[in-house]
Amino acid sequence: MPRVIVFTILLLGLLALIPPAIFARMRSTPGPGRPIHIVQDMDYQPKFKTQTANPLFADGRAMRQPVPGAVARGEVMDDPHYLEGAIDGQWATEFPSQVEVNMALLDRGRERFNIYCSVCHGVAGYGDGMVNLRAMALMANADGPVDGTAWVQPKNLHLPEVAAQPVGQIFHSITNGIRNMAGYQAQIATADRWAIVAYVKALQLSQNAPAGLRAEATP
Amino acid sequence: MSRFLFPKWSNLLLPGLILAGAVAPLYAVFVVAYGFSPKTMEAGYQPEQPVPFSHALHAGQLGMDCRYCHNTVEKTSHAAVPPTQTCMNCHTQIRPESPKLVEVQESYKTGEPIDWIRVHKLGDYSYFNHAAHVNRGIGCASCHGRVDQMEVVYRWAPLSMGWCLNCHRDPEPNLRPVSQITNMAYEPELELSDDERLALIDKYDIHPSENCSACHR
Repeated sequence: MPRVIVFTILLLGLLALIPPAIFARMRSTPGPGRPIHIVQDMDYQPKFKTQTANPLFADGRAMRQPVPGAVARGEVMDDPHYLEGAIDGQWATEFPSQVEVNMALLDRGRERFNIYCSVCHGVAGYGDGMVNLRAMALMANADGPVDGTAWVQPKNLHLPEVAAQPVGQIFHSITNGIRNMAGYQAQIATADRWAIVAYVKALQLSQNAPAGLRAEATP
Repeated sequence: MSRFLFPKWSNLLLPGLILAGAVAPLYAVFVVAYGFSPKTMEAGYQPEQPVPFSHALHAGQLGMDCRYCHNTVEKTSHAAVPPTQTCMNCHTQIRPESPKLVEVQESYKTGEPIDWIRVHKLGDYSYFNHAAHVNRGIGCASCHGRVDQMEVVYRWAPLSMGWCLNCHRDPEPNLRPVSQITNMAYEPELELSDDERLALIDKYDIHPSENCSACHR
């Protein structure tokens, strides 16, 4: 057989290996060059979905912001006890009537506390969450705090002055923030913020339970 | 005068051509099925984002719950990309001068959104509902993979219709208790027995629809 034919067959065989090799590499390695739509179908339609961009509006967002002062249904603003944690300018010492304190509320509160609060305050509330640990490490850098880090350790929720706070004050701190802590009004629903307050109260009791209560709890 | 005679090797031509004719279609089918599959063409999409946010650091090392930022996931169909305020809950104090955070600081000052590039995009005719899934025991990792180990997020699953239907037809291997939804390391098939997962189908009243209109509108 002439050499040229043998070489051509071998070359074709080798070339045939290239596409599978490329595809195998694509499958095993993430990269920016995808997705590749061979058949477009109607994957890209001239319409706007949640959190997409719309060049027609000045701010470029497809989702419009509510008009300032707009009140959504069910978001009545005239219940300072439920929405602010205050009654006649004083911190509420009782839970509002909308909140029924029971085991389900505490479970919900624990779940929400662990999502939103434990990152800084720690799972047990001692102000030793993972974000705090990292921030402290950035502060302790030998050449000074990294990238302008200025961190103050979050409050230990078991300090006497914190444990003495009425429920309304804790609710207000979660809602509007306090000192370095941002407010969580936008991130956590009102009912869930009250659930967290209930759980924080239970957490504080658990770490400083009076002797009698402890004996009662352990049969 | 010499006559032209086919050389001896030309006897191989016929079997060779038959072999090639048999192999070529098989090869073409293989290349199309393997290479044009969504597992090749869609999965693995990893765009470079305007801010080098690391899920491996925040969700992995710091152990932040997915819902700290994606806090709408249990209530709405869309698991929202958080507003810049959520970043600034911590970053007003932690590394505020980091060059990696310039875009975030800019967005915080001006109110202009950060131009995140969408990684998990379905066809515009598909309406996936996050709340319906996470409230019935399908965890984040089942569709998004180990995001807590991704320095830069990529599309872990093909998100093709066939892939969706695999689970809609047999959800049981992917079911976990709702309390473990955001636990990225949780593996339902290792943690729960078959019976326990089947019990979850009853508990969460799971009847995955295969109707077109369940997802397509």
